[in-house]
Amino acid sequence: MKKLTLKTIFALTLTVLLGFGEFLLERQGQAAPVATQSDEPTQFARGAKAWANTCARCHNMRDPKELVDDQWRATIAHMRIRANLTGGEARDILAFLQGVN
Amino acid sequence: MKMTQNRIPGASPFRGSFLAALAVFVLAAAMPALAQDLAQDATRMEELEARTAAIMEELAALRAELELAKKETASVEIETLRTEVAQIAEIAQRAETSTLARDNPISVTHLAGYAAAGYSTTKDGTGSFDVANFNPIFHFQYADRILWESELEIDVGDNGETEVGLEYSTIDIFLNDNFAFVAGKFISPIGQFRQNIHPSWINKAPSAPPGFGHDAAAPAAEVGFQLRGGALVSETSKITYSAYVGNGPVLAVEDGELHGIESGGFTGDADDEKVVGGRFSLLPIPKLEFGLSAAFGDVAIVENDGMEVEDDAARSYDVFGADAAYQWNNFDLRAEYVHQKIGNQALSILPEGGTWKTWYAQGAYKFAQAKWEGVLRYTDYHSPHPEQSQEQVLVGLNYLLTANAVIKLAYEYNDGLNGELTNKDRIMFQIAYGY
Ligand code: HEC
Repeated sequence: MKKLTLKTIFALTLTVLLGFGEFLLERQGQAAPVATQSDEPTQFARGAKAWANTCARCHNMRDPKELVDDQWRATIAHMRIRANLTGGEARDILAFLQGVN
Repeated sequence: MKMTQNRIPGASPFRGSFLAALAVFVLAAAMPALAQDLAQDATRMEELEARTAAIMEELAALRAELELAKKETASVEIETLRTEVAQIAEIAQRAETSTLARDNPISVTHLAGYAAAGYSTTKDGTGSFDVANFNPIFHFQYADRILWESELEIDVGDNGETEVGLEYSTIDIFLNDNFAFVAGKFISPIGQFRQNIHPSWINKAPSAPPGFGHDAAAPAAEVGFQLRGGALVSETSKITYSAYVGNGPVLAVEDGELHGIESGGFTGDADDEKVVGGRFSLLPIPKLEFGLSAAFGDVAIVENDGMEVEDDAARSYDVFGADAAYQWNNFDLRAEYVHQKIGNQALSILPEGGTWKTWYAQGAYKFAQAKWEGVLRYTDYHSPHPEQSQEQVLVGLNYLLTANAVIKLAYEYNDGLNGELTNKDRIMFQIAYGY
């Protein structure tokens, strides 16, 4: 009985989370998960800020010059999973790293 | 001579007129010569002017010629350069379209990982080079849609044998900006240490806090499905979430006791009940994070003193965790609590359950241009078995060769059951490199 209740609560939480995600997506109008290179200068600035705020939270800050563009692509995809980055944050940070490496 | 001399001082009017006439005559006689001279000068000037003009003209012509010559050689040079650039561009283009392209627009393969080497010695014990491992990480990314990530754990054991383990291997599908689906064997999303801090180049101490190692208080890995992501709540705050369903851990009995919770991730599920769990975190400001984790499910005993056990009655399994982390200037502060609780089961070969719980708090401070880092960590680990329980204070000093290569020296003050290894202080030295 206890287990059942817990599982129900969990399922409900998941549903709420999914709903919340979808809501955010709609609100921000950014359903496309594929990189868009539209607003370059602002994207670079946003990326620089997100990088400074995020990338030294778990480990020392890695030098953007350590990796070439496509290595950063794979690394940021990895960090997107690891650090629960949003798609937007991941794209912005990638644009920044590829701009300064 | 004398006469002339006399004449001048006593000049008579006649003599004056004569002199004036003479002067006029001389002048008149000289006039044509003077006029002739002047005329000659004028012609000479004209000649000079003409010659100068001619020279100037010649100079201009020469200059023009020179310019032309210069331009001609320059344009030849430019042409050569242009062809060379075109040739190089063509080579570059060919390289890019080849299978070895570094900027392949669709897929990327990438090798990462880390390695460590270390030495440790216990007080009144023997020391040994006790760490020699490397963990290669493979990434294969398809567009911005799919990532396959896999990490192997390759280690030399104390008997000299090389052990190979699959730390994780997952196929990650980015569903949208806020959700990714993860399938396979993954590091347990409970808490922070196992997921994010345990790699040797990241961990500021050479050891894991007691209870965060294998088969202890913190779950290690899971085989199943996971849904995870993050969302911005405002300009400066965000939330993150990870939820999973998996086979869950198993139990082993040793000498009539539950030895520990084996949570390394299994492709079998002895209890036939899945474990569901996850973590939710809030970052109210960018470098401050509070997380809560939980998991629920069933576990069963699968081993008794090395013998396989089948169909032992399943029992309840609960996990709870709380963590916090904050980075401020040169400080890195974190704390984490986690427990795994096994319920009692009257029908089991070993009815009594138990709780494995631990918590740690760690502060690190970078100094001397962030080349050095001091670390202080306190851990209090409680196991149902007193010989496993341990209280520990670790003091460490690290030298950062680079952001991803660190040399660590640490001293552990250990307080455990008398006579146990958990009660012996330890000095550790480690070199770790993440690439
Ligand atoms: C939530 C914690 C966390 C955050 C935040 C984080 N990382 Fe990492 N990072 C890790 C972990 C853990 C590893 C080691 C991966 C492993 O061993 O599987 C890692 C590894 C790396 C590596 C080594 C290569 C690799 O792919 O393993 C690089 C480079 C890196 N991170 C860069 C970044 C950048 C850039 C950011 C900012 C977007 C970032 N990290 C943010 C946890 C984090």
